[in-house]
Amino acid sequence: MKIGGFLHDRLMSLLLHLFCMLMLSTFLLVTGTDSGVVSIILIVWAVGLCMLTAADYFRKRNQFRELEAIMEGLEQKYLIMECSPKPNSYVGRKIFGLFRLAEKSMIEAVSDAEAKQRDYREYIENWVHEIKVPITAVELICENNKSETSRKIRSQLAIIEGHVERTLYYARLDCIEKDFIIRETSLTDIVKKALSKYRFLLTQNNVRIETENLDKSVYTDGKWVEFMLEQLLSNAVKYRTDSPVIHICAEESDGKTRLMVKDNGIGIPASELRRIFDKGFTGSNGRALGGSTGMGLYLCRKLAESLSVYWEADSRENEYTAISLCFPRPLSYENER
Amino acid sequence: MAKILIVEDEKSISDELVILLQNAGYETAVIDDFVYTETQIERTMPDLILLDIGLPGQDGYRICMELRKTSQIPVIFVTSRNTSMDELRALSLGGDDFISKPYDLPILLARIQALLRRSGQTEKDTLTANGLTLSLSKGEIEHDGQRADIAKNEAKILFCLMKTPGKIISRPDLIEYLWNNQVYIDDNTLSVNVTRLRGKLNNIGLPDYIKTKRGLGYKI
Repeated sequence: MKIGGFLHDRLMSLLLHLFCMLMLSTFLLVTGTDSGVVSIILIVWAVGLCMLTAADYFRKRNQFRELEAIMEGLEQKYLIMECSPKPNSYVGRKIFGLFRLAEKSMIEAVSDAEAKQRDYREYIENWVHEIKVPITAVELICENNKSETSRKIRSQLAIIEGHVERTLYYARLDCIEKDFIIRETSLTDIVKKALSKYRFLLTQNNVRIETENLDKSVYTDGKWVEFMLEQLLSNAVKYRTDSPVIHICAEESDGKTRLMVKDNGIGIPASELRRIFDKGFTGSNGRALGGSTGMGLYLCRKLAESLSVYWEADSRENEYTAISLCFPRPLSYENER
Repeated sequence: MAKILIVEDEKSISDELVILLQNAGYETAVIDDFVYTETQIERTMPDLILLDIGLPGQDGYRICMELRKTSQIPVIFVTSRNTSMDELRALSLGGDDFISKPYDLPILLARIQALLRRSGQTEKDTLTANGLTLSLSKGEIEHDGQRADIAKNEAKILFCLMKTPGKIISRPDLIEYLWNNQVYIDDNTLSVNVTRLRGKLNNIGLPDYIKTKRGLGYKI
């Protein structure tokens, strides 16, 4: 709080004091009072006024600092009125009351919106769980009645499953931290599961898989990494060329473990490479092929942020796309052991 | 033959699971009336239980908890819920494994096999058909005292063919089997592997062991 601003607020009352001082001294001098007496009266008046104003200023300033400190400490800033002391002045109390009302309606609106969002998320989660039952049934029926047709169906089923999983994870994005179990996870296992999930999609498209050096383990949540890997596989199949090959390998360097998925597909133009992890970004390839939502890699980025891992992407048009997931190695933990 | 009990309220799924497990060589039993589930389980005396979590009336967690008071039968939770909390809960209540729907069927079968092995059921390591013996753990084939080492991929191919001698296995079937067993090869690589395998069989005196049925597949 600046003193200039404070005085500006009290300009009228200060001017009034000045005017009264002038009038009184003129009156007293005219009526023959000694000028020494007049100046004593004026000095006492001025000193009193200054002290009163200063006291008021410091009180107001402290109050305001207190409020600022409360605001600083609040996570939900709109709850300030709930936490601040009620003012003593009549006008202050009136204004305070109004703000309290405003705040109350704000809290209601926020909690309404939160409840709605929670309901919607729960509905989506339930829907996903329900849709998984018939998907499982179709999967089992196909397994029990193997034929060329059933393999084609299962390849499409893998695509459906991919969409369903993305929906589920998008709905959960706000509270994924609650769903982590970080433990030592073998990369071989993760890759095995992801490949197994997409085996019909991959074999139907005659994809060759090369794995290399995967006998490493990282500290992470296997389920989420598996999901991210599935997005990469699904992209590699979608943007493939003739005789597709997907190369999956791991390497350790500079204190991190890197899991790389490299395909020999149509690649990504250099100008678009920076944006592939953006929400809803489909790029020229996505537009040309259709059926691209721009969600897969966006979810990957969000999940990676929560898991404290990061992505590296490299591509050359019509040659390859290589996307790597980098896990920082927990050095301190290794040392403790 | 191990007996597997399926506790699942979706009939479409339990019916198909029965066929799947019977094809894989297990005996099955199904519970579809969830009133006295525990007593029904005890009466069935299974070697392993596939337990759904979302059952009418009571949930699978509770059944597992009750079951654990009296028995140590392996339990695999199968469910469409897949949060870490569900998994933790299932495992801490005495479940041995947790698989979420839609199940990855090879993984489901592998887990069943692993659990049964842990609880004393054994599986075959060597296979003999038409005069050839395949030892999976050693990666070795033997005929008339002649031995040859074979690679993992080749062993898997041979195992798939030797399981059903005389039956034609189509190339897509063979590729599917291999993918289910973590051998990720495409059509061309399969041809290369089979050629190499034939060479090795030839060396130990079985020149025409794997027969090609043009347009249909392979058989032994």
